[in-house]
Amino acid sequence: MSNPVTVEKYRNNFLREVEANVEEGDWVKRCMQCGVCSGSCPLGPHWEHPPQELFMMIRAGKRDEVLGSSSMWMCTSCYNCIARCPRELPITHIMHGLAHYAKRLGLSPKNQQTKKFAQKFWDNLSKKGRVNELKLGLSLYFMNGFMEGVKMSLKMQKVGLGMLKTKRMSPFEMLGGHGCKDSKGLQAILNKAREIEEAKISKFQG
Amino acid sequence: MTDVVATNQTILVVGGGISGMTAALEAAECGKDVILIEKNPSLGGRVSQLYKYFPKMCHPTCGLEINLRRIKANQKVRVLTMAEVASITGDTGNYSVNIKVSPRYVTENCTACGDCRDVVEAEFDDEHNYGLKKRKGAYLPFFMAYPQHYVVDPRLIGTADADKAKSACKSNAIDLDMQEESLTINVGAIIWATGWKPFDAQKIQAYGYDRIPNVITSVEFERMMDPTGPTGGKILRPSDGKEAKDIAFIQCAGSRDRNYLKHCSRICCTATLKQTTYVREQYADEGKSTIYYIDIRAIDRFEDLYHKIKADKTVFFLKSKVANITQDKATANPILHGVNTEGYKRYTNSHELVVLAIGMEPSIDFNQLGVNLTINEHGFIENDPSNGGMFGAGVATDALDVNRAVQSATASALRAIQVVNQVATAEG
Amino acid sequence: MADKKLGAYICKGCGIAERLDTDELAKIAKSDGKVTVAKQHDFLCNSEGVKMIQADIDAGEVTHVLIAACSRRAKTDAFRFEKVAIARANLREGVIWIRPDTEDAKETTQEMAEDYIRMGCAEVKFMTLPNASGEQGRVDHVLIVGGGFTGLTAALEVAKAGYLATIVEKTSALGGTAAQLYKRTPNHSPFAAPQDNGIADLIQQIESNDKITVHLNATVTKTEGAPGRFNAEISPDGGTKTFGSIIQASGFTPYDATQLPEFAYGKTPDVVDQLGLEALAKQANGGTIKRPSDGKEVKNVVFIQCAGQRSEKEGHLSYCSGHCCMTSVKQAMYFKDANPNIDAMVIYTELRMPGAGGEDFYRNGQNKGITFTKGMVSEVVSDSGKVSVKFKDLILNEEVDLESDLVVLATGMIPNSGVDIEVPVTEEEEKEEEKTVINIVPADSVLNLDYRQGPDLPQLVNGFTDSHFICFPYETRRTGIYAAGPVRRPMDMAQATEDATGAALKAIQALENASLGQAAHPRSGDLSFPIFRKEGCTQCKRCTVECPFGAINEDEAGYPQFNEARCRRCGTCMGACPVRVISFENYSVETVGQAIKAVDMPDEFDEKPRILVLACENDAYPALDMAGMTRREYSAFVRIIPVRCLGSVNTIWISDALNSGYDGIILMGCQKGDDYQCHFVKGSEMAHYRMSKIGDTLQQLQLETERVQTYEIAITDMHRVPKIINDMAETIEKIGMNPFKF
Repeated sequence: MSNPVTVEKYRNNFLREVEANVEEGDWVKRCMQCGVCSGSCPLGPHWEHPPQELFMMIRAGKRDEVLGSSSMWMCTSCYNCIARCPRELPITHIMHGLAHYAKRLGLSPKNQQTKKFAQKFWDNLSKKGRVNELKLGLSLYFMNGFMEGVKMSLKMQKVGLGMLKTKRMSPFEMLGGHGCKDSKGLQAILNKAREIEEAKISKFQG
Repeated sequence: MTDVVATNQTILVVGGGISGMTAALEAAECGKDVILIEKNPSLGGRVSQLYKYFPKMCHPTCGLEINLRRIKANQKVRVLTMAEVASITGDTGNYSVNIKVSPRYVTENCTACGDCRDVVEAEFDDEHNYGLKKRKGAYLPFFMAYPQHYVVDPRLIGTADADKAKSACKSNAIDLDMQEESLTINVGAIIWATGWKPFDAQKIQAYGYDRIPNVITSVEFERMMDPTGPTGGKILRPSDGKEAKDIAFIQCAGSRDRNYLKHCSRICCTATLKQTTYVREQYADEGKSTIYYIDIRAIDRFEDLYHKIKADKTVFFLKSKVANITQDKATANPILHGVNTEGYKRYTNSHELVVLAIGMEPSIDFNQLGVNLTINEHGFIENDPSNGGMFGAGVATDALDVNRAVQSATASALRAIQVVNQVATAEG
Repeated sequence: MADKKLGAYICKGCGIAERLDTDELAKIAKSDGKVTVAKQHDFLCNSEGVKMIQADIDAGEVTHVLIAACSRRAKTDAFRFEKVAIARANLREGVIWIRPDTEDAKETTQEMAEDYIRMGCAEVKFMTLPNASGEQGRVDHVLIVGGGFTGLTAALEVAKAGYLATIVEKTSALGGTAAQLYKRTPNHSPFAAPQDNGIADLIQQIESNDKITVHLNATVTKTEGAPGRFNAEISPDGGTKTFGSIIQASGFTPYDATQLPEFAYGKTPDVVDQLGLEALAKQANGGTIKRPSDGKEVKNVVFIQCAGQRSEKEGHLSYCSGHCCMTSVKQAMYFKDANPNIDAMVIYTELRMPGAGGEDFYRNGQNKGITFTKGMVSEVVSDSGKVSVKFKDLILNEEVDLESDLVVLATGMIPNSGVDIEVPVTEEEEKEEEKTVINIVPADSVLNLDYRQGPDLPQLVNGFTDSHFICFPYETRRTGIYAAGPVRRPMDMAQATEDATGAALKAIQALENASLGQAAHPRSGDLSFPIFRKEGCTQCKRCTVECPFGAINEDEAGYPQFNEARCRRCGTCMGACPVRVISFENYSVETVGQAIKAVDMPDEFDEKPRILVLACENDAYPALDMAGMTRREYSAFVRIIPVRCLGSVNTIWISDALNSGYDGIILMGCQKGDDYQCHFVKGSEMAHYRMSKIGDTLQQLQLETERVQTYEIAITDMHRVPKIINDMAETIEKIGMNPFKF
């Protein structure tokens, strides 16, 4: 196994790691395994491990299976689970938190589509502090190879032309596009945040 | 006018269900003077609406009969029905209680012959049957109602029906001019045995109680089993009146859930185990019960019942809090969606009828009542020295089964006796 | 009573006069019933009607009153007259409401009413007004056996009510099991943390209370007497004292975990039971708990729920001990509170933390980081200083082998019920008895009762001394002796507080009742008691054996001693007596027997059979009443007599009835067996047993066995009782009339 962290089964090391690093991870221990979240998820059938099972796996110390899972990437933030959870767990947030954490550790599945899109979105956004929709759209089309990209672009031709006509999209965005006022300041903020997070995470990387 | 003699050595018991009756009788049979008030027209409370008790599968009216006989035989207990506490002042050993008595429009002359019922035409939802059937505007709440006196529904007053009822009564027992009364009594100690009410099922939106006819509550299911009840003792689907043989029971419907009641209602698991025996009673091996649960809390001796039910091949257990219920248009069957958490198996299960094991919540909001009692986060009374001469009994103190409620009521009777005995000693 | 003056008061209200010829009824009361006064009234139950009766009583016109109106269950408040014997003839629920209002039915309906008048007159004629015997005394002192948490609580509650209490504790210290606890589960909001066990404070209150006496290192070596006059010998040196009533708070014995070799208990000190953990926690006193084997701080601990309980395996307990889930969470908190980095896991199959406090405590346990796994533990292995738990995670569906520093087994509680005295009553039971397993805890008697039926309280399922009544949890089968705490039922301290307080009430009530000579539940307040004609007694001992409450002892000569304060007035002794020497003042072989004989028996060729129903007044009679209230029709040939309990039915009534021409007899009692609903526990069972032998009598008379039927009736059987009656009428039609009519 490539992961250097040793997690003993059914010890709480991984639970503590999740509590410390995953957004709202502190709530995981409060799950009582009723399964209402798992049953309420509209994308449930596509999950390998539904939320309640992920929580049990965390408590069982199944670090690789949890962080390497594609399940939490399936969350579409419908908030059904949060609304119904009898124990008030912010399940949607925990799912995103787990996905984020797995990705930071480089443990998430290689070809996970949601993950790829999320990365593209972030790359696009973090450059200038504003999303360049044209570039983001195109990069999404070509995310899975050139031929796929051409096919997708042709398929979406009508929509694109319509948006151009109604000025919902500007072709000039290709030339760099607009950004936020203090680009340098933004980068400084992001670098500092990265520094803090990496320091925090390093202790769980063994 | 209602005349009540009470002193600061009298014990007031509020609530005439099994806990209140028990507290009142146990105290009275120790020689104490007791006033028992009940807001409904008759004693009996929630248990009188149950078909059977777990784990013995005996009938609650059996115990009610004995308790009523004890009350009839004991002149130390004074029963006031249709009476509620309006306000309380004073302190331990010396409370002044204002009681509001609603008009029954029927006097003690009533012989319960039923002539008034026969002539009255107007019908209303029958409270005893949770509105599953109608009753007449002049009515006896149920067959074992005590006092065995009819009631004229206040909505009848001023209508021709009311006059018909009055003229039908040969014993001259109907008094349409009866007014609400207010009386103030002096008592030494007060026992709150105000009991519970079923949680409002329609608040659990995902279960569609208000949209799907074949989703009912466990208390309604109890009424269905009553041979004189709304379905004549048969398990009939509200949608089409057909017999339901494949029945789902959903545990923690409203309980153990921060969206509804945070507490565990304790009785629902064992009550559901009991209700699967109703299914067996009706259909033998032809019936099917499926229990969706988080934990089966068949505590202490009730485990024996759980063990017995587990051996029944027509009963299935699924560890799952059901996510939501939809309805199949063609069959009107409720469809349950969720995940069996034991080994992660998704299900979409169609059943002919769904019974929500509904949670119990305190029937009175004590904080609203303006009485100086220690009330916990869940609305239950916690016995605390600061409550003075007031004591909780039965389900007013926690979600309890009947046995524990009676235990609590018996204990509360002694606590009240301790107060009035001290008063007696002080007064020599 | 010097001379009896009978009065019959016939109500014409509720349609009775429209349906029946009440003048004729009054005439029959005079002619056949021999009443001196027979009056009719339009509404007997209203104030004028009642006044009319009262005036006759006050004027000395009547001493014995027959109210011929509605059921004895109706209008009891109105028809309450002091100092006269009262009987009721049920003309409403029992006659006009169950008969059709047709011309055809008129004659038989009228005959029915007339017979009820005759029967009522006969009954009341043989009644006398019950009076307490004077045997009773008043002792305001409660004996409490057991000085654990339940016993201490009970003693304090008794004392707070102004009565004396004496605690007899067999060990050298008060506090029992509770004193061994480092802390207890919380009993008030917010149910967040273990709290002080409260025992020191409780003991201090006991010791400073001048109403409470404590005997340590003491046992009760002999108890004799009855409520109001129990004499208990407290050994070794407490002497014999008199008590009004007794509370048995003898607690429980922890299940012997060495019976669980599969969980390595006894093989390694690092597997403990819950009490073992309490000892470790006491040692640590808030610090980190150390493991027994090597004294190292425990870094992880596993709690195994339901160890040796909720299991059908041999030697295991089948029941759930109720408190253990809460206790494990509390104990896991000991670790978490000392150091949050300790892993504490609870392996359970059903987590039972009910009510408001239970669920709150569960949530708070989770908040503290205790983890919970739904799993089945198959084995705990101890190998070279290491302990590992093998279990199946039922959620993740996989087998796990987990090494752990310390394992805590949540084992069950076994009641200290003393000696199992249950005596086989029937031959079938005797055979059954031989098959039953031996007690798990070898028992010395707790109470050493000098009772004919044995030295301790009868036990119910699983050895607990529970009453088995859902509505009446304290009604044990020994009047004036109340079990409380875990001896009665598995329970935690919060419940034991309520239970002890409730038992204290019952004990006080018992001594108050005894001082007045009145019965305890369910015939509360009844002043009648068994009267016994010694000269007729054959010392057969049926009454002493069959009394469901063990009330009757035998004297040296073998005659019964009734101990009326122990008696619950069910009449099972009266039913048992083959020579009919036992009776009550207001309920006797005569009152019922004369009523049976009073009916006007039609000729064999009249095609009017007569069916006698003896109906238990607790469930069957109300069911019959409600059949009337719902206007369910049944045969006019039936004559119904309520009885206190089917156990009080003496077979002489059956043979007399058959001899006097009844064509069929139906006995209606309550459910018997394990889930008995009989309010006198064994009464219905006894009756069924006796009736199973009635075949011989029938054969002697050359009568068909179908003529006598015994049923278990529930109070809700309002639809079933008419059918049973009608079926009997049909049966008689088939098999023909009883030839013994005269």
